[in-house]
Amino acid sequence: MNMKSAFRNVYCTLFRSLNPNLPSNFLPRRLTFLIPPSAPSIRAQTFRSLSPTHSSESMPGGEAHAAPLLEKQFEDFRAQLEESGTLRERIRTVVMEIESTTRLIHSSLLLVHQSRSTPEVLEKPLAQIGVLKELYNRLAKIVLESPGQYYRYHGDWKTETQTVVSLLAFMHWLETGALLLHTEAKEKLGLNDSEFGLDVEDYLVGICFMSKELPRYVVNQVTAGDYDCPRKVLKFLTDLHAGFRMLNLRNDFLRKTFDGMKYDLRRVEEVYYDVKIRGLTANGDPVADQAAQS
Amino acid sequence: MLKLQRLSLRMMALKPQRLHNIAETTSQSVAKRVRTMTTESSMKDSFAKYTDYLNDLNEKRERVVKASRDITINSKKVIFQVHRISKHNKEEVLQKAEKDLATVTDQYISRLVRELQGTDFWKLRRAYSPGVQEYVEAATFCKFCRTGTLLNLDEMNATLLPLSDPSLEPLQINVLDYLLGLADLTGELMRLAIGRISDGELDFAKKICEFVREIYRELTLVVPFMDDSHDMKTKMDTMLQSVMKIENACFGVHVRGSEYMPLLGSDDPTSFLLGVPDVEI
Repeated sequence: MNMKSAFRNVYCTLFRSLNPNLPSNFLPRRLTFLIPPSAPSIRAQTFRSLSPTHSSESMPGGEAHAAPLLEKQFEDFRAQLEESGTLRERIRTVVMEIESTTRLIHSSLLLVHQSRSTPEVLEKPLAQIGVLKELYNRLAKIVLESPGQYYRYHGDWKTETQTVVSLLAFMHWLETGALLLHTEAKEKLGLNDSEFGLDVEDYLVGICFMSKELPRYVVNQVTAGDYDCPRKVLKFLTDLHAGFRMLNLRNDFLRKTFDGMKYDLRRVEEVYYDVKIRGLTANGDPVADQAAQS
Repeated sequence: MLKLQRLSLRMMALKPQRLHNIAETTSQSVAKRVRTMTTESSMKDSFAKYTDYLNDLNEKRERVVKASRDITINSKKVIFQVHRISKHNKEEVLQKAEKDLATVTDQYISRLVRELQGTDFWKLRRAYSPGVQEYVEAATFCKFCRTGTLLNLDEMNATLLPLSDPSLEPLQINVLDYLLGLADLTGELMRLAIGRISDGELDFAKKICEFVREIYRELTLVVPFMDDSHDMKTKMDTMLQSVMKIENACFGVHVRGSEYMPLLGSDDPTSFLLGVPDVEI
């Protein structure tokens, strides 16, 4: 096409120079666009009519070769992106199962607030840990199909994993009274030897989530007559809070979540204060203890 | 009391090595009885580990963000250099632009290579993505002005291979950043096209128009598959605006161009209408 228009240009110029007296609208129209608004004379017009030919020469065969190549590249991209889309679909399927398992665990754990004995409450959710482990194993297998891309898909299991950690940590605390450490959490999920790890930030966010459950737990335990509970919880939560304050956090989600922990701590302090001031704690006034028991 | 401790902690925050002591006194003074010494110290140890981890991560992220900013600034300069192009200085302008681009690659992109080994490549993507997008924009812009073709991702990644020694994983721009950069390229091409039209290089402008249309068309098929397609969707809207601006500019010249015929000699009022169908830019 460039050739064609170049030919036209030359033809027009030639035509014009041979017939200088013809009215200009007699010329083939193609020439018209070649005259820029600023073109002051026919001489300039001649120059312009040649310049496009020049510039198209500097892009040799652009259209002929570029278009299929361009298309090819985008086809490749589409294939690549579709592939990662399928991978993501598979990840999501597993993550949905993880989510429904965590919901089961959570609902079973809610029974601790209804003054059931802890071992009895923990029986069901502890059995579910095996299911979670299996699911994380499946997830790891899928994600490791494309090595090094853990964080490409990380967003797909991030929130669910944070919930998982919070539940595991709560269960662990109910069992042992200690904090579930990162390595222990990984072990529970069977991720210790895997390249598919547990992100430290996800773990920390999960731990913050767990602290939300504690004020409610304390209140209900005290109502059920366990007056030593606030002291234990307060100590644990204070240590935990102190631990978190060692971290230099950025202004991100983790920090926001951690900021909420002080309210949990305050609530537990209040409960502890209420119990203590009335002499209901074990080392309080024995008379008050008896009064409470009667 | 808690408040006081928090205050003192905040004051000490500048000296992280003293944090350990403070945390110790805190936990001991609040909880008078130290019952489970072992779990407590293991908790402290673990938090010390998490602190190190987060510090390292944040420092690395900071470095990557800085590198990304430098890449952005200097790629912008390359783009501005290309915009100085005109009919007569094409060669020297492009030579300088290409030289500057090579400097960006050697000095700034190379800084990313070491930081983005292994999983960090995807973990820190948010931190470096803006810079890389701008770099893609600059590189494809230079290439288009040089050859009129699109610089492929593979070609581009090939130029990044020499940056790292063989012991390191080479840095390879990912498809997503490439496509996002490409989406931005159309904005620059729009400016270039408008500039070229006012400079009278209509064929060049037409070429740009076709190229941008082609990219837009191809991208419409790819965008639905992109991971975070929200960002890309807004870019697609902007891109369509750019395409239309170029088309309108071409249309304007097209129409005005035919208006010039009567000015140049003819009094025939129909020449304008007659002129239109036959004109091809």
